Amino acid sequence: MCPVISNGEVRPTVNGQTRPIVEFRAVTRVYGSRHALDDVHLALEPGELAFLVGPSGAGKTTLLKLINREIRPTSGEVLVAGIAAHHLKASRVAELRRRVGVVFQDYKLLPRLTAIENVAFGLQVGDLRISDEEARDRSLDALEAVGLGDRGDAFPHQLSGGQQQRVAVARAVVAQPPLLIADEPTGNLDLETAWEIMDLFEDIAAWGTAVLVATHNVEIVTRLQRRVLTLVHGRLVRDQPAGQTGRMAWLASS
Amino acid sequence: MAGIVVKGRFPRRRLVQTVATNLLRHLFQGAARSWARNAGGTAPALGSMTLLLVMSGLVGLTGFALHNLEQVEASQASLLHVYLRDSAADADIGSLQNRLTSDPRVAGVTYVTKAEALQRAQRIPGLPQLADATESNPFPASLDVQVKNIQDVAAIDASVRDDLAVDQLYPTSYDRGAYQRIQAVLLGAAVAGIAFLGLLGFVAVMVTMNSIKIAIHARRDEITIMQLVGAPRWMVRGPFVVEGAITGALAGVVAGVITFALTAAGISAASGAFSQFAPGVTVTVAGVTAAVVVLVGLGLGSGSSLISLRRHMET
Repeated sequence: MCPVISNGEVRPTVNGQTRPIVEFRAVTRVYGSRHALDDVHLALEPGELAFLVGPSGAGKTTLLKLINREIRPTSGEVLVAGIAAHHLKASRVAELRRRVGVVFQDYKLLPRLTAIENVAFGLQVGDLRISDEEARDRSLDALEAVGLGDRGDAFPHQLSGGQQQRVAVARAVVAQPPLLIADEPTGNLDLETAWEIMDLFEDIAAWGTAVLVATHNVEIVTRLQRRVLTLVHGRLVRDQPAGQTGRMAWLASS
Repeated sequence: MAGIVVKGRFPRRRLVQTVATNLLRHLFQGAARSWARNAGGTAPALGSMTLLLVMSGLVGLTGFALHNLEQVEASQASLLHVYLRDSAADADIGSLQNRLTSDPRVAGVTYVTKAEALQRAQRIPGLPQLADATESNPFPASLDVQVKNIQDVAAIDASVRDDLAVDQLYPTSYDRGAYQRIQAVLLGAAVAGIAFLGLLGFVAVMVTMNSIKIAIHARRDEITIMQLVGAPRWMVRGPFVVEGAITGALAGVVAGVITFALTAAGISAASGAFSQFAPGVTVTVAGVTAAVVVLVGLGLGSGSSLISLRRHMET
């Protein structure tokens, strides 16, 4: 039996093997004369939780932007959930983005909407066929999944930073995308709250969604022992499998 | 191959209703809310667009009246009045009339008596006083010659000037170059009107574009989130186009009402004289112009928004 993407689509397989959710083939991205990414090859499997690490300016955000087709590569191929993002027309970018949940360091919640409305907004603007009742039910489910079932009517300013980030996670996964990307999701949070968010990402990955987290948090990376992709000056210098990341003292010093 | 169906299918009627409700909310309700929130920033656009549309309406009506006037002038210019001597013999008049009627360049010849000429003069503004100033009838009898082609009027005039029946002091109504002078004046007026409207239009479009730019800036976070969660491009841009259309429609309605009211007031104040200097401009024409002004406002508002979106919104 083929694995199934939770929004009802059957994921394509080749010889019984699932295709990677994200695939970079010789990807280079140049800004002027600077190589933000240089000949990057990588693949991310469904249900995989991976960390993207590296010093500031190493190309982490550029890599995430390429996945979400905010930018195009200068050369190479970027495949996301079976879609060739590298030559996707602007008019079809929405199709790709409905398959990618995004979480930011600054949450990006709409201040005039409640938590449940923020989640429902993300659901309904992506798919007009979703009724108000369905959007509310699914948003409430998502909020309950992130432990905020009782704070649905709270506005963002009434929530703590950790709670706001949970709402952002709920919004990112409510449409059940096959891929979740997060750019420094714990950057504004204390360590305890950061761990709660990481627990959420592990749960999400366990349900089959691939999760790629760009972070500077060495403690989280070393303790979780998940796959670690290391970028330095735009080059993917290490790709350490889960359970083989060691103490990563080199990362703490970078 | 097998798959798990997570969501059931909606009945079609309910699906259409849901899509329509969501569309209405995201496009129109969102745009109306945003328009009300940015009313202060929109006011200059509303004002300049209203001014432009009022001017457009009035210039349009003036253009229509001038076009009709030009038609009247053209038909009058091809009508040659051949004035007859008071002492002309009937045989001479009959001979001249026969000669003109048989001319292939002439469409028709009508004999106008002195009494008919006087009656006609009394219908022309300013002339009744002249007619009443003397006890005798100062207006001569004439042969009104309708020439087929306006270019042949000069030749017809030359052929009748020396006729025995024709008055030697004021032989005809022919005025060399009069029609061309009127055409030149009308062309100048049209060019000046179009240039003026073009300038006003440019200002209105720039001001509206700026107000949409402000609206885009105010809703930057919402736009970013919509783009990131996979909202289609038309859905992100749609509310701004509707917002511009609201501004344009409001300006159009105000301008349409002003245009209609001014024209109706002019028609009722000047009564018969209005049709002399603005032929063809009636209350119905004013109503149609007002409706066109509203439509132009809608187009101008949404068009300016589209240009602004292309410039200021990233994909």
